[in-house]
Amino acid sequence: MSPEAAAPPESAASAESAAQPRASTRTGPGRLLVAVYALFALSASARAVVQIATQFSHAPVAYVLSAFAAAFYIVATVTLAVGNPAARRIAVLSCSVELAGVLAVGTWSLADKATFPDATVWSGYGSGYGFVPLVLPVFGLLWLRRLGRRG
Amino acid sequence: MFRVTDAVPTTIIVAGLALAGYALLMTALNRRVGGVLLAALGVLEILLLVLVGIIVAKLAGGGRPASLPTLIGYLIAMPLVPLVAGLWGAVERSRWGPAVVAVAGLVAAVLMVRLHEIWTVIGV
Repeated sequence: MSPEAAAPPESAASAESAAQPRASTRTGPGRLLVAVYALFALSASARAVVQIATQFSHAPVAYVLSAFAAAFYIVATVTLAVGNPAARRIAVLSCSVELAGVLAVGTWSLADKATFPDATVWSGYGSGYGFVPLVLPVFGLLWLRRLGRRG
Repeated sequence: MFRVTDAVPTTIIVAGLALAGYALLMTALNRRVGGVLLAALGVLEILLLVLVGIIVAKLAGGGRPASLPTLIGYLIAMPLVPLVAGLWGAVERSRWGPAVVAVAGLVAAVLMVRLHEIWTVIGV
């Protein structure tokens, strides 16, 4: 069984990406970012579908917000994976909406508990999901900004 | 008392966390995904398939969780986690490949806790 091979040195990696017209949004740290976004896209949308289909009247606001969050996770996953200039602009918008959403819904969920008898992905700033919903759009925006400078 | 519905999820949690720890070490050491990580993902895959089998048997035996659609979603998604992470991580030729594998290990562990919340028959 072969052990984990050493990654090529950074210089080789940057020479490789310099040969391409643009650095890719889905390689390097972007590989991890797309993986985590895909995970949240899948789990948030599956959860929203089940909640809306089976018990919508229980917490309508929370479930609609869950579906809203799920939609933006799908958009971010796809646009980060595609990574062409148009996709990058949509990704920046999507990450910005997510960041605004997690901050707004996080605050709303703490201030008005009656509206949220059940949690959304963004309740308590994503505390039910290890605060990943809070850090994910921040890393997304930082990654896109870094690539924007390089490209 | 030894119960297979407790032992398998517990093993998956331990295996998932161990895999995540090792994979993050590989990221820190600037390694790519290699044979050891792929073999570990294979072991995790087998454990998850065994658990899917156990849960399907429980359902066939007449047991019902709080939310059946959610459980069915988990049964479909669970075996995909190591598979997709292995593919997505192995094509990455940098330290970020093992980081993807680490996510799969953590997700497997978290899924066990969530499964227990959906259906307490599945212990942890």
